Amino acid sequence: MTPALVELENVSKIYRLGEVDVPALQGVDLSVQAGDFLALMGPSGSGKSTLLHILGLLDRPTAGRVLWEGEDVTRLNGAKLAELRGRRIGFVFQMFNLVHNLTALENVELPLIFLGVPARERRKRAEEMLVRLGLGDRLRHRPSQLSGGQQQRVALARALVTDPALLIADEPTGNLDTATGREILNLFRELNAQGRTVVLATHDPEAAGVAKIRLRLRDGQIVEVEK
Amino acid sequence: MIRDLFRLSFRNIRHRGLRSWLTVIGILIGTAAVVALISVGQGLQRAIATQVERIVGYNTILVTSRGLNLGQRIRLDIEAIRAIPGVRSAIAVRMETAYVEGPGGKGFLGVLGYDPAMQEFVAEMNLTVAAGRELSGKGEALLGGRTARALGAQVGERISVEGRTFEVVGILQAQRAGGFATGGLNLNDVLVIPLSELRELFPGPELVQYAVIRLADNADIASVRDAVRSHLNKVGERNAQITDFEDLTRNIQSVIRGVQAFLAGIAGIALLVGGVGVMNTMYTAVLERTREIGILKAVGAKDSHVLLLFLFESGLMGLGGGALGLVVGFGVAWIAVAIVSRVFQAQGSFSPVLSFGLVVGSLFFSFLVGAVAGIFPAVRAARLPPVDALRYE
Repeated sequence: MTPALVELENVSKIYRLGEVDVPALQGVDLSVQAGDFLALMGPSGSGKSTLLHILGLLDRPTAGRVLWEGEDVTRLNGAKLAELRGRRIGFVFQMFNLVHNLTALENVELPLIFLGVPARERRKRAEEMLVRLGLGDRLRHRPSQLSGGQQQRVALARALVTDPALLIADEPTGNLDTATGREILNLFRELNAQGRTVVLATHDPEAAGVAKIRLRLRDGQIVEVEK
Repeated sequence: MIRDLFRLSFRNIRHRGLRSWLTVIGILIGTAAVVALISVGQGLQRAIATQVERIVGYNTILVTSRGLNLGQRIRLDIEAIRAIPGVRSAIAVRMETAYVEGPGGKGFLGVLGYDPAMQEFVAEMNLTVAAGRELSGKGEALLGGRTARALGAQVGERISVEGRTFEVVGILQAQRAGGFATGGLNLNDVLVIPLSELRELFPGPELVQYAVIRLADNADIASVRDAVRSHLNKVGERNAQITDFEDLTRNIQSVIRGVQAFLAGIAGIALLVGGVGVMNTMYTAVLERTREIGILKAVGAKDSHVLLLFLFESGLMGLGGGALGLVVGFGVAWIAVAIVSRVFQAQGSFSPVLSFGLVVGSLFFSFLVGAVAGIFPAVRAARLPPVDALRYE
């Protein structure tokens, strides 16, 4: 049996706010298989984002283990984690998180720079990705010159340009109107249909409806799994 | 990838616009001050070296009392020194104070003994005659400009020195200041009579202010120095100092270098302040771009990439300020020298020198100041945990 893409074993995360320990995750077990489309649901503060960050190797658990394709990455050093993030994971955020003084094209090139991809190839791949997402005429625009939907598609292009194994999206439709949000969700569905593994966090039931598996979180624990 | 990081750094600097310029100006001022002072100092050093060589001559030895103190007299026999092998010519400058009476005034004045061998040193000693002619024989005197007025004497008139009568045959050219070869003594205030007659008026052991020895072309300067030293020992003169061109230049240069190092040190403080400006700007940039740092890390940037990005930024600002400061500093040096030359009507022009070492050194140093100032902010940026950075509003 091939190992899961990402597997969390009894993962806990505790934030220290001054004198008080705030548990964000408590003993979570989760396994994401290649080709899955997961939606994490739950109210604010239920631990969705923390879980996403740990899945995306942006954060380390306080306790428990994280396995990436069967290998324990919990104690991996920062540089190795960064490389794994850059090569295998793409992120999309609620606030788009584009770099403001770079053009759409340069934003999409960014992950490839850190992977050491030569300039010419980098440009070509970034351009192709933006064209595929319908932004062929917006290459030289800066984020401030783009609509919210366009910005989120640039962010998606940036997440996909490295051809990652896992796409992680934190409230990707949270800052978009309904119609634009639907467009983006359709893109996610298409991507998953093409075999891409997607994990998204949302409290929009419509967004969650697109996913194959819905996990409900409360107080840092997975309380319900719906397939 | 390094090139790409460099490009990103440059973009970030440009993006900050006015604030980047203000930061760069801080470095610019510091570098300009250092460059201006050092280039003027080096120009001065070069000018003094040529002046000393012109006045003293590189084949010249000076004998003075210790510490180049020309007020203190020393004992020596100039004839014996002329006899030393390798000596082409030598003069001893002897000055006595004598009671002088002229047609329109009288008083105690400095009287310089003139030796025909001095002919060669006339220009250096400021013995150029403005009116009348030079000394050519016994019973003749040259007057300094102010002496002539004090005595009310003109060319052709007679004066008496210690009771002996002399005919005034010439008046010396007016001088701005005492020449080096006269020990800073202003010849406006003296009169000049033949050395032989000065010896007759003041008999007894000969004490001189200083002696100038010029070497033959193929002479060995060290052996002449030794011979002069043994002559001084023989006549019992223990307080004399022998100085040659190189000693003299070295002495003057070391004084200039000291002053220059002191001033450049002060200017360096300005550069340090500029560095603090860079540090401040970079800390602010880290705060402002915390979220961006998080984004970069999320898309695969390692700590080292972020570190380099910020170091390049501060280093580039340092280098930019250094390059501009170099140009501005050299310009300021030229203007300052032009103004000083005009105000003080300095004889002989000199210009600031921009040496290769100064160019490379100031560029390297300004880059270093920028980069060092950026180290702490860059380390802070690199160490930001990605999640915290992304969460930062």
